[in-house]
Amino acid sequence: MASMAAGPDHLFNLRNSFYLGAYQAAINNSEIPNLSQEDIVERDCLVHRSYIALGSYQLVINEIDEASATPLQAVKLLAMYLSTPENKESTIASLREWLADPTAGSNATVRLIAGTIFMHEEDYSEALKHTHSGGTMDLHALNVQIFIKMHRSDYAEKQLRVMQQFDEDHTLTQLASAWLNLAVGGSKIQEAYLIFQDFSEKYPMTSLILNSKAVCCMHMGNFEEAETLLLDALNKDAKDPETLANLVVCSIHVGKPSPRYLSQLKLSHPEHVLVKRAASAEDNFERALQSFA
Amino acid sequence: MLTKFETKSNRVKGLTFHPKRPWILASLHSGVIQLWDYRMGTLIDRFDEHEGPVRGVHFHNSQPLFVSGGDDYKIKVWNHKTHRCLFTLLGHLDYIRTVQFHHENPWIVSASDDQTIRIWNWQSRTCISVLTGHNHYVMCASFHPKEDLVVSASLDQTVRVWDIGSLKKKTVSPADDLMRFTQMNSDLFGDDRQVKLWRTNETKAWEVDTLRGHMNNVSSVMFHAKQDIIVSNSEDKSIRVWDATKRTGIQTFRREHDRFWILAVHPEINLLAAGHDNGMIVFKLERERPAFALSGNSLFYTKDRFLRYYDCSTQKDSQVIPIRRPGTPSLNQSPRTLSYSPTENAVLICSDLDGGSYELYIIPKESVGRSDVVQDAKRGTGGSAVFIARNRFAVLEKSTSQVLVKNLKNEVVKKSSLPIPTDAIFYAGTGNLLCRSEDKVVIFDLQQRLVLGELQTPFVRYVVWSNDMESVALLSKHTIIIASKKLVLQCTLHETIRVKSGAWDDNGVFIYTTLNHIKYCLPNGDSGIIRTLDVPIYITKVSGNTIFCLDRDGKNRAITINATEYIFKLALLRKKYDHAMGMIKNSQLCGQAMIAYLQQKGFPEVALHFVEDERVRFNLALESGNISVAVASATEINEKEQWYRLGVEALRQGNAGIVEFAYQKTNNYERLSFLYLITGKLDKLSKLMKIAEVKNNVMGQFHNALYLGDVKERVKILENAGHLPLAYITASVHGLKDVAERLATELGENVPSLPEGKTPSLLMPPSPVMCGGDWPLLRVMKGIFEGGLESAARGGAVDEEEEEDAGGDWGDALDMVDVDGMENRDIDAILEEAERGEDENDEEGGWEELEGLDLPPELDTPKASANARSSVFVTPTQGMPVSHIWSQKSSLAAEQAAAGSFDTAMRLLNRQLGIKNFAPLKSMFIDLLNGSHSYLRAFTSSPVVPLSIERGWSESSSPNVRGPPALVYDFSQQEEKLKSGYKATTSGKLTEALRLFLSILHTIPLVVVESRSEVDEVKELVSIAKEYVVGLKMELKRRQKKDDPVRQQELAAYFTHCNLQLPHLRLALLNAMTVCYKAKNLATAYNFAKRLLETNPLESHARAARQIVQAAERNMTDTTELNYDFRNPFVICGSTYVPIYRGQKDVSCPYCTARFVPSQEGNICGVCDLAVIGADASGLVCSPSQVR
Repeated sequence: MASMAAGPDHLFNLRNSFYLGAYQAAINNSEIPNLSQEDIVERDCLVHRSYIALGSYQLVINEIDEASATPLQAVKLLAMYLSTPENKESTIASLREWLADPTAGSNATVRLIAGTIFMHEEDYSEALKHTHSGGTMDLHALNVQIFIKMHRSDYAEKQLRVMQQFDEDHTLTQLASAWLNLAVGGSKIQEAYLIFQDFSEKYPMTSLILNSKAVCCMHMGNFEEAETLLLDALNKDAKDPETLANLVVCSIHVGKPSPRYLSQLKLSHPEHVLVKRAASAEDNFERALQSFA
Repeated sequence: MLTKFETKSNRVKGLTFHPKRPWILASLHSGVIQLWDYRMGTLIDRFDEHEGPVRGVHFHNSQPLFVSGGDDYKIKVWNHKTHRCLFTLLGHLDYIRTVQFHHENPWIVSASDDQTIRIWNWQSRTCISVLTGHNHYVMCASFHPKEDLVVSASLDQTVRVWDIGSLKKKTVSPADDLMRFTQMNSDLFGDDRQVKLWRTNETKAWEVDTLRGHMNNVSSVMFHAKQDIIVSNSEDKSIRVWDATKRTGIQTFRREHDRFWILAVHPEINLLAAGHDNGMIVFKLERERPAFALSGNSLFYTKDRFLRYYDCSTQKDSQVIPIRRPGTPSLNQSPRTLSYSPTENAVLICSDLDGGSYELYIIPKESVGRSDVVQDAKRGTGGSAVFIARNRFAVLEKSTSQVLVKNLKNEVVKKSSLPIPTDAIFYAGTGNLLCRSEDKVVIFDLQQRLVLGELQTPFVRYVVWSNDMESVALLSKHTIIIASKKLVLQCTLHETIRVKSGAWDDNGVFIYTTLNHIKYCLPNGDSGIIRTLDVPIYITKVSGNTIFCLDRDGKNRAITINATEYIFKLALLRKKYDHAMGMIKNSQLCGQAMIAYLQQKGFPEVALHFVEDERVRFNLALESGNISVAVASATEINEKEQWYRLGVEALRQGNAGIVEFAYQKTNNYERLSFLYLITGKLDKLSKLMKIAEVKNNVMGQFHNALYLGDVKERVKILENAGHLPLAYITASVHGLKDVAERLATELGENVPSLPEGKTPSLLMPPSPVMCGGDWPLLRVMKGIFEGGLESAARGGAVDEEEEEDAGGDWGDALDMVDVDGMENRDIDAILEEAERGEDENDEEGGWEELEGLDLPPELDTPKASANARSSVFVTPTQGMPVSHIWSQKSSLAAEQAAAGSFDTAMRLLNRQLGIKNFAPLKSMFIDLLNGSHSYLRAFTSSPVVPLSIERGWSESSSPNVRGPPALVYDFSQQEEKLKSGYKATTSGKLTEALRLFLSILHTIPLVVVESRSEVDEVKELVSIAKEYVVGLKMELKRRQKKDDPVRQQELAAYFTHCNLQLPHLRLALLNAMTVCYKAKNLATAYNFAKRLLETNPLESHARAARQIVQAAERNMTDTTELNYDFRNPFVICGSTYVPIYRGQKDVSCPYCTARFVPSQEGNICGVCDLAVIGADASGLVCSPSQVR
């Protein structure tokens, strides 16, 4: 379906930077003249979500007050959820309140945040309850990811097709199809790699793109190249958890022991999947040993 | 029709191309003959001697001559070099219609209205033959291109072929079947409006066919020199092109008002000319530029009906696929542009067919070859089509000024309207388009729908992007515009000759061609000629000194050029002076042009390095402020003017010493004295005054005195000069009373009166505060260039040191001979390491739960949700994680471990290999698990997605089919370990070697190989590793047992019975021999020595062995009894290290197959430290091929 283009899209660059993980660039270039009221709210959401991605939760919580627009309030909820995991019950409770409200509950950003938070909670069905109907590219992309997490690539593909029909060249469509390609594997990995390659040629390299390329390389069995890419990514952001996690995996494969990356990851992101997996692996090992005792 | 050149003039009646130069002669109805350069578009010369119209004109094909014939009955032969008419041939009695040189003989044929054809010899300047027979005006006569024939056409409605063989020695040769008169001005049948095709043989000519179509008299017709077509023009104001074989009209070009009178074709190149009522046109029928696209080293281009591929690195040319050629024989429908997507291997070919259309071909991967089947291309119409991303291309819809973005299936993905009315689009980086309109170009981002840049330009024909996509060159007919990627203008170049093509070299220099030159353009807009060209070429790529190009025949050529000049200029421009300096030293760059360039561009100091001529050198030195060089040059030249200019420059710089020197050299005393005054050099000033006195220069003397404030001297000078009143006044004013009185007496009554009422004051120059020489000089002008030179020298001087790798392996190995030479330092450490896993605590873990993410599908409808939609939506049940699939599918321990099913993995290992001690495997289990997933950050702020990595990926693996998990350990790693283990053994690092061999044994249970044969290799590796582990463990134990010589000897002896590599066996034997000999067990030592000698050892070892053999032969006894009977075959117990002779009972390890005495049964194997000795096991399974 061809979508006929209207006027120029002022937020294009901002959105792109955000999707591709150039958060600081998104924040720095957020001063765009001649924005409509709607665009301003979207811009603010993107900026604050960028701050969240950079880990500046408190800044977001402080900046958004009662008077801010509904989408921003939702963004604030996400910041609260991520900043203080101890209080997540109350955060989720207020999120549910928001969702119960007919107007707020149908707001795309609120639904997006709800999806994200429930995904963190690993309550996929609750997440999907709010996101499955889609409506924005963000929501669809989130759906793709949820379905990938649920190992239902068939559903993810359906979501992707919706996105492709809407705008096949949209950055999120491309990203989502790369994610799905990676998830289904096989020859599709090459395609995923090409998508990320396109991004890296077109936009400034971010650690997100480098990481994604590295993941493709790893899946293609090319661990040496993956390692190079990851070291590049590490240069850009020395604390990025995914870079560290993938480096751990990569160095195991290239036969270079890497206790440092793992301990670095353990210190900075004790909640990371890899850390959790490694820890439970030890337990698992000991438990399995019991049966031979 | 592609018009190349047009003139406006009186009616053009005759035309001829120069065979070599870009010249054309046009003879006019007014009697003037014009010589035009159609490439430059200039009138070179005019020849005005005929009276009345000149109808025939022809260039000689080698001499600087041309012939003309006019209505004044005269045939004139001209030399166009000397601009003179050489002579006139008289004889015809009426208008002359055509004249033509013979291609080799010195003949001219002329046709005239006097009903005759004459043949002239232009060397003897005589008429050698008159051909009569026509009984009306002869409109045209022409030599046969090969044979001794003349053909003529006349208004008597005949075409006649004349045999002129008799003019030479008559030779008879069979005539070819189709005569081609490339130049045949045939007003054939005046009002017939037809073109007829004739065929001749020796005796007759007959009409073959008639081409009908012209609406009025046909003025001229000819065969095309290269193509199988006939071109005719007519008074009906049209030029028609006919297919010569099918004899059908192909194309017609019309003019509004001008009747055509004459046609001419270039003998060599693809050019035609036509004369009409108001001038003439030079034109081409078809474009000659092959469509091409470059990607890296790969060049795709079209030739004939094929897409071809040329590899610039190997210069190999091959045919790729046939492409469709239009069936209709119309002209200019060949591919115009080509766009290539390297990743998808797809080619877009655009042509003017159907008013602009494109074809999309996917190049099949393998069959780059001869296939002749035309692929069914995807087609579409559109002004132009280019790839804008790997799998997207844009097609211009001119009428609506829209672009359609399509995918490789030729489906429209997106439509976008363009910001300006566009008539062509070009690639401008991924997702961007460069849109061209009449007078400007814009870069348009299709996604953002934003104009990224805009530039006013002349009509752009070609767009060339630099390799880094940072700069773009826009080629117009006579202009090159270099702009940045945002279309910020960087420079503009104007060319008088048409610009043809261009490419960027790796340094950012734009190399381009015009019709006759290869030229360069530097980033600052400086340009120059690299070389001239005989024929136009189309540059495809520039790589270093090589220019790759396509010529008009579609052949690839690689031209080597001398890039020194522009590289040098670029180096200057980029301020890479060391580079520039290096080039000055190494190449002959000199030349006035270069110096002028350097001077003009502000690098006089660089130019200084080139110049030998002192005057030029002096000028450059002054310009660059290099005083010392200037002084040297000035001394050489030693002329007043140079000294003067040197003085001026030195003064400007404040270099007083040089100023003084320069003034002295020119004897410029006035300036010199003033210089002394202001620099305060009073002593020199007074000296100068004396010189002036000697030279009798009163004025100079007085000046100096004034400067010095020396009143007495002044009075004296004035007095000597006879100016007594002045002298008196000076003296009296300055209070020199005695002198004044003396002068007053001399003056007598002529004493001048001093003005009243004024108090005179002394005019004295201030005394100098300090006497300074030069001004302090800032070290600015000291050339950057010299700096570059120095640093270059320094760079060259850096010495490279090579470090020698010290320590040979074999030197260490000799330590083994020295019994006490080994240190057994780190055995403990090794042991510790081997057992380090064991003190881990047992803890209950919840791996299964974590991996499984046991979320029951929530099927009940949500209660009070505002989203009505969610009540319909049913969350799908979760799919199966890949790791579950792995653990279900696999019966290989390593894959189970990677899937996280450690218990299954352990059970498998226990069943297959009897392994019970898993502690050494723990880290490997965990590595396998950790290495089985990668982590993808997908949507911002949402949880990371772990993705399972599969083994054996290939481009052709199908998606959604799960391969086995990627494993961390493979067989080749183990082989590497084996090699380092051998090496460590050889160099005597026994603990290290033991660690490696043990590690092999520990890893193999988790290694997976693909084929059966590899399984056997793995098994062999196990047994090798086992032998070494047993042997090395014994040797290490022996070294601990210093106090027990018997045991020492035994262990050394057993070691020699392990299955070792020959070098290691030699060492073991040497060792055992030495130990036994020292313990005086000569008989045993004798045995080892004998065995050692059999292994062909080093000479020194062999000598020792022979000595022992000799010693033992004298006294074949053992002092101590050993548990060692070498005659009886045995294996060694892996735990107790005692021999188990053949026939004795033993048990073995189910994994490593080490043998043990029966008492060890049930213990953990002392060799591999994994399996239980004597346990039941099904055997090693390490390949999926064993399971299938």
